[in-house]
Amino acid sequence: MERVAVGIDLGTSNSCVAAVRDGEVEVLPNAYGEATTASVVHFHLDGTVTVGNAARAAMIHDPLHTVASSKRLIGRYSFSEEVRKARAICSYPIVEGPNHSVRVRIRDELFSLPEIAAMILREMKAVAESRLGCEVDQAVITVPAFFNDNQRQATADAGRIAGLEVLRLLNEPTAAALAYGYGRGLRQKVAVYDLGGGTFDISVLEIGDDVFEVLATCGDTFLGGDDFDDRLIDLLAEEFLEREGENLRRDPFALEKLKVAAESAKKALSVEEQTEIRIPDVSRDAEGRPRSIERTLTQGEFSGLVMDLIQRTFKVCDEALAQAGLVPRDLDGVILVGGPTRLPVIRQAVADYFQQRPHTEIDPDRVVAMGAALHAASLAAPGFEGEAYLLDVTPLSLKIGVAGGLAETVIERNTPVPIEQSRFFTTFRDGQETARIRVYQGESRRAEENELLGEFEFSGFRQARRGEVRIEVGFRIDSDGMVEVTARDPDTGASTGTKITLSSGLSEEELEEILRASPAERVRREEGPVAGGSGPTPSDTPDGPGAAPSAPKPPPLPAVDEPDRSAFGPPGAELAPDGDPTP
Amino acid sequence: MTGAPQRAGELRAVASMLDQLDYYELLELERGASGEAVRRAYHRASRRFHPDAWRQAPDELRVASARVAARLSEAYAVLRDPGRRAAYDRQLERDPRALRLGIGQAGAAARSASAERSGRTGRGRRFFEAARRDLRRGDRAAALRNLQMALAFEPGNPHFEGALAALREGREVPELERD
Repeated sequence: MERVAVGIDLGTSNSCVAAVRDGEVEVLPNAYGEATTASVVHFHLDGTVTVGNAARAAMIHDPLHTVASSKRLIGRYSFSEEVRKARAICSYPIVEGPNHSVRVRIRDELFSLPEIAAMILREMKAVAESRLGCEVDQAVITVPAFFNDNQRQATADAGRIAGLEVLRLLNEPTAAALAYGYGRGLRQKVAVYDLGGGTFDISVLEIGDDVFEVLATCGDTFLGGDDFDDRLIDLLAEEFLEREGENLRRDPFALEKLKVAAESAKKALSVEEQTEIRIPDVSRDAEGRPRSIERTLTQGEFSGLVMDLIQRTFKVCDEALAQAGLVPRDLDGVILVGGPTRLPVIRQAVADYFQQRPHTEIDPDRVVAMGAALHAASLAAPGFEGEAYLLDVTPLSLKIGVAGGLAETVIERNTPVPIEQSRFFTTFRDGQETARIRVYQGESRRAEENELLGEFEFSGFRQARRGEVRIEVGFRIDSDGMVEVTARDPDTGASTGTKITLSSGLSEEELEEILRASPAERVRREEGPVAGGSGPTPSDTPDGPGAAPSAPKPPPLPAVDEPDRSAFGPPGAELAPDGDPTP
Repeated sequence: MTGAPQRAGELRAVASMLDQLDYYELLELERGASGEAVRRAYHRASRRFHPDAWRQAPDELRVASARVAARLSEAYAVLRDPGRRAAYDRQLERDPRALRLGIGQAGAAARSASAERSGRTGRGRRFFEAARRDLRRGDRAAALRNLQMALAFEPGNPHFEGALAALREGREVPELERD
């Protein structure tokens, strides 16, 4: 049977799958003929799940069992800022799992974020299989360039759970640049302005024919189209509170209605000067009479609501350009990625900032999946014609926690990958026997302001007075942006190493257990459009081989030894820096 | 192109010499090369050694391309940055050998063979280097003392032992004279 490797853009709001067929890259539409599928998972009472626009419709009538924007949670610790924020916005219950990981509780079951993402990936795999008429088991999956190692690891786990061999985790802006410049023999410097549902990335690339070199990448994983919607939701909720004295944010059903209305108003403003917001029956008064929201929203009003968010993206752009050593007029082109970049207010602001009109001929919802598909084709096929070489960078500095609550950099951000680099540390106490090595990603000198990737203990080194022992800590970052770390005593030769597999994701045992139970199998393919579905009627849409009917429920997740919470306290004073980084 | 024999030969050769090449040699650049030339050289080398191009090749070649690619990134990260490049150039003037042996420290596991020759441990290596310098100056007594120190930190290293025996017997000492 023919095998095709696909590219999957796993987005916060929508996902898209593409493949190269007969040398042409094409987006594979779902059963409704839509190029993108909502990244929403609805859990039915019988244990099956639906993914896509039908699931998005369920956000209104079944908000507690409908999981949206899960990408905001993947690879995060339960105590992180982003998770706190998501708890305030999301109606479904977000709880703490083993090792401070995040779980979603649906009825009596707990689901990890990689499992939820796997359900979406499974759906995209089925979409591809049904369109291509063959098995799909290899994929390039895209991630925001600014994703840290935990988030990348969790996304890779999701791919495995979905039954995909993940050929590469590709940064979204890099994928977009590839789709833009592939096979065109360009010599250009371009910026990719990627504002997705939940994240913002800016990458500056130099395209030299078949080489795509990322000069710098910066981002904000707390900023996306969802935040634009939130501003609008806030406005509507505030106005309602003033008029009716009721806080709609407290009512999950009303909140979901607000969300849907806000998102469609935003979309309408991408093409219209103004739009009517109508939410009939948003709640009931004391006598049970329906109350509604009706209001006109103009582009000008909307711009006022979100302008500070847009300006925030340019702060990030400043940083990326400075890192690349460029100014806006050095750029030969600006590529827009992500649904929100259709908004005229954003296009205008981007044109002003970069002093040039961005490319509008590229579809911002599809370009990432198309780039991923091109890369998948070249990775899967030996001797693929027209190979392109992607030279990417690590978006965040890698650091080691040292005495005094500080973090010392071993690899600077925007260093090209793959790379290996090491630095020497020393002991902090006389006769010290073990060192706790804490690995961070981020730009702060203060350890706790960076993202903790993981930690391990190192022992077996020479015991001596403080400062006399040398411990060489080495990092390896592979082409997926994933990190491996080793510690070594060059004098005794003792060493230890680990792929940082993270407390915030799934342990290897949990992953094995999930792979056995394969919850993604529960994804149920819809027969056709349902009420609220927006697409045309399907014509030629046999269910793909991935469309298994409801499988037996997986056993509850195994308990995992809970490490002492103190492991996440302030860093132990156990290592001290020893000289400059090598070389 | 993957696995084309001449390409494979080139990859093997570069991978095996990796610890003997400084960044300029690795990228095939003149010392004074411009920033633009550095970038072009990095692109050129990436086309030949990028691990993606060797994805379908046998393990030996895939490992080799990963090592070379990591070193290319390292070299490029230094040479494209004027500050780091100047520091590297100064180091290269002072002590080219030590620098070559010291680069890519994290690849410790990968360079066992050359490490065996020049020392597995920091101190062993340092005294071994000192002995090498002594011998170059013609000071065999000092070289002997330093070699003994190197052996104290790294007992049983066959290259150190061989060099020590040769020194004691007044023979040529290939271990210390070879580049």
